[in-house]
Amino acid sequence: MSSALPNVRGRLSQRAAASPGLGAAAADVPGVAETKPAANLGASSHVKTEEVAVDWRPSRHARRLLTLAAAALLIGLITRNPAVAGVAGPPLLLLGMSRLGTGRAAGTGRKDAAVRQGASVRPELVSVRMGLTATRFYEGEPAAVDVAVHAGGPAGAPEAPVADKAAAGYDARWMLEPGKGIEPGSATAVNGQAARFTFEIPRWGKRYVGTVTLILHDRWRLTEGRVTFDLPAVDCYPAPAVQRTEVVLSKLPNRLGEHRARVPGDGAEFNGIREFVPGDRQRAINWPASTRRGRLQVNTFAAERSQDVVLLVDATSDVGRPGESALDLGLRGAAGAARAYLNARDRVGVITYQWGGVHWLAPSLGRRQVYKIIDVLLTADTGYARGAIFSRLPRAALPPGSLVVAFSPLLDGRFVESLRDMRERGFSLIVVDVLNTVPPGRRLFADVAARRIWRMEQDAIRFSLRELGVPVLPWDGAAPLDLPLAPYTRRPLVTRR
Amino acid sequence: MTATPPQAGPVTPSGDTPGQAVKPQATARPAPARPRAGIASAVGSRLAALLLGVACVVWTATPLPHTGLAKTALVIAIIAVTAGALRLATADIPQPEDQFFLPAYLQAWLSFLFLLRTLAWEETAVVAILWLEVQHPARPWPTAALGAALLAYLLTTHIAESGADAGPLLRRHAKLLIAGACLLAIGAGFAMIPAGGPGAGSAVLRVIAAAAVIVAAALVLPGSS
Repeated sequence: MSSALPNVRGRLSQRAAASPGLGAAAADVPGVAETKPAANLGASSHVKTEEVAVDWRPSRHARRLLTLAAAALLIGLITRNPAVAGVAGPPLLLLGMSRLGTGRAAGTGRKDAAVRQGASVRPELVSVRMGLTATRFYEGEPAAVDVAVHAGGPAGAPEAPVADKAAAGYDARWMLEPGKGIEPGSATAVNGQAARFTFEIPRWGKRYVGTVTLILHDRWRLTEGRVTFDLPAVDCYPAPAVQRTEVVLSKLPNRLGEHRARVPGDGAEFNGIREFVPGDRQRAINWPASTRRGRLQVNTFAAERSQDVVLLVDATSDVGRPGESALDLGLRGAAGAARAYLNARDRVGVITYQWGGVHWLAPSLGRRQVYKIIDVLLTADTGYARGAIFSRLPRAALPPGSLVVAFSPLLDGRFVESLRDMRERGFSLIVVDVLNTVPPGRRLFADVAARRIWRMEQDAIRFSLRELGVPVLPWDGAAPLDLPLAPYTRRPLVTRR
Repeated sequence: MTATPPQAGPVTPSGDTPGQAVKPQATARPAPARPRAGIASAVGSRLAALLLGVACVVWTATPLPHTGLAKTALVIAIIAVTAGALRLATADIPQPEDQFFLPAYLQAWLSFLFLLRTLAWEETAVVAILWLEVQHPARPWPTAALGAALLAYLLTTHIAESGADAGPLLRRHAKLLIAGACLLAIGAGFAMIPAGGPGAGSAVLRVIAAAAVIVAAALVLPGSS
């Protein structure tokens, strides 16, 4: 049930509030944005238009009036009471007038005459236009779906003007039946020729917004036409964690970037002074130093390089409360890290690990890479992957010398072995521990002992990784990722074999 | 070379610039749905429906006759009016997505809601009230007033459940409602005229009633013409 889901927006707000000096960053996190009114969500993009047949039938109001009339007549007849029979007069009048004043658009002979006389014609076919303010958005971000109805068949058909004229005489009522995992933000029923329903999705994934039922009432509200259609599916991205600093390797590949390397180069940051040699640029001469030493001295600058970052997400186990599970935290952390490293002009790739199999995306640059990475993350779910095998990944997926940031609860032994293997192959690894739950336990001795053993095993796993030189940083999902990464972002991470 | 870093904010499909959504082609402007107000929304029309139902029951139950299952009809009318009002009051409560493994009290509540939304409470109330009315000795004008009140009750119930604007709807119905009131008055006046003989009036009434039912059914059923 949706009520079992935690309040993600509240958690995100808490996350932003818990980070001092991140006021500007809070505005970057989509989930922190306050709930906007429906009108402030902006115009919607057209998604699709459907031609649907209308199923006309007597309305509930008509059935009630008919019941009143029939009951009054029958009871009046049985009891020979003409006053009671007279009660049937007004409902019969209403029913009769509605019938006389209505024709069907599908009829050929009577339709035009009925329209000329000003009577309403039932459209047999309506076109429903659907639009969404976004087809892809982050968790907790408000969105809206617009629906509008037009009467008539395909464009250019001779019936269209007649049907348009007829549809104007009908009242439309829209009722939204939200899909699974969709939280409506407004009323789920609204009247009018067009309507806007706001909603939000508290947890990432591919979601169906739901179904909308359109009810058309005639002038006397005695016949109603029902149309039910499905709203389009949307992709809900995990809300990226806040990360404003990056871990930089000490040994960077020879590729232009924005990180200061240890070797001299053509960067902008001052590195030191050396003696002038023929071929040096004149503008690099340091005149005060040359005057002091009596020989020409030139300034040297640090090279600026970029690095390859591979985000490794362990999707083998999804433990914890829905919305705050290890997989949720892993995906949010990976999305935040991808954005941070791509901001720093690094090449970022992603590998999602599932029971030995993987989905991977080769490191690359650019804004689109964020969306590509998140699309790969969205395919992560607990289950068996049909992609590549982790131990046989190509160099494109895991370039040598790249920084590997793993998000894992470290519950799968094979994944831990894979981490050890990667470390022994010389990769610089950082493990973000996203395990934020413990096995439920009663106060029985056996449960307490089992829990203690489990904790010792977990501690041993983390200790063994640290002994190999792999930092294991616990992260609760609420604080920014900068906090656990702080010891490694202040200075370059030394690459050791 | 400076490139635009990835910005936070709404994600747009590849190639789309954020904030450049396609302008809707709909001629009608989408009406933003009002904020969720739950049971409190449309409370006026729902309360009016309840009050009209109660008024109909009170009007026809005073004085309470003691013949022909009058008490049973009264109890049924009270239950039906109350249940109809509860149905309107709980119309905004959504059904849960999954109805498996729910606790007993939630299952009982859902069954209660299902019962409220399935049965025809207003129709039951109308029949019970009319049956209660005929237990009285003939009183043409109070019966005509009851007919008007029952019509108002049904109309208000429809307004409450469909969320329609009462003003335009009643303006549209005004001429017909006036004509209906005239019909009621004529019917009451006709009832005050004593019948010529013991069998002639009732025979005519039988014929008129049967014809009216047939005509009404033919007019209302869709596709019959």
